[in-house]
Amino acid sequence: MPTEQSELTIERFINASPAAVWKAWSTPEHLAKWWIPAPIECQVVKLDLRPGGGFETRMREGEGEFQPHVDGSFLEIVPEVRLVWTTVLTEGWRPAEPWLALTAIIALEAQERGTRYSARVLHKNAADSRKHEEMGFYDGWGTVIDQLAVFAERLK
Amino acid sequence: MENYQSSVDAAFHALADPTRRAIVSRLTKGPLPVKELAEPFDMGLPSFMKHLRILEKDGLISSEKVGRVRTCRMNTERLAVAESWLSEQRKLWRARTDRLADYVETQMSRTIEDAN
Repeated sequence: MPTEQSELTIERFINASPAAVWKAWSTPEHLAKWWIPAPIECQVVKLDLRPGGGFETRMREGEGEFQPHVDGSFLEIVPEVRLVWTTVLTEGWRPAEPWLALTAIIALEAQERGTRYSARVLHKNAADSRKHEEMGFYDGWGTVIDQLAVFAERLK
Repeated sequence: MENYQSSVDAAFHALADPTRRAIVSRLTKGPLPVKELAEPFDMGLPSFMKHLRILEKDGLISSEKVGRVRTCRMNTERLAVAESWLSEQRKLWRARTDRLADYVETQMSRTIEDAN
């Protein structure tokens, strides 16, 4: 499957310094405020900013118990510049079988009056959105999704 | 989000089998009667029907019986769900990035100012 079908990049200008953006990312109290959309509540369990350090967030709606959200590990940390984490490994580089395998590459670039922020997110492939037990079918998936894409084009 | 996730799961579950992928693949070219649809597959009709029922239950195809002929067709809406999974991920990250920007630009700076 071509990589362009399994990765995405979000870019935008943020009217604040890279230091401020970094703080929002690297401080549990701040991260919890924006990481998950309200009214879902976010709990930052691990935010251990070093290679192999755990990154775990949980979520809950209303008064229920917190549910798993992200459980991964950091790969690279360059303060105010770059933050890379993955769900394919958990704390201490322990291999995991996440419900959604991804690596996120967060980059901050200082600009005159703020920060050029980008999030590049790599997925295993575009079909990787179901539970691991159901993962026995990569073979042939590319062909099908290509056909589906062609088909969807025709519907427009 | 959760409804979306479960419909995606259902779509991918339906496509988790080579026979069912082949069925979907054939139907993208247009509706077909069951008998004709089953022809290239090396299996008995009962087994084949089982696959059709899974695809139909998970909403990827629908079928209609006219007289003695049952015709299968793609359910295009559900297909779009499977096809647009990445664009949904993109939306999620776009929203997350906007929340971060909003937080840093307004609430967090206010907190810093308050502290000063």
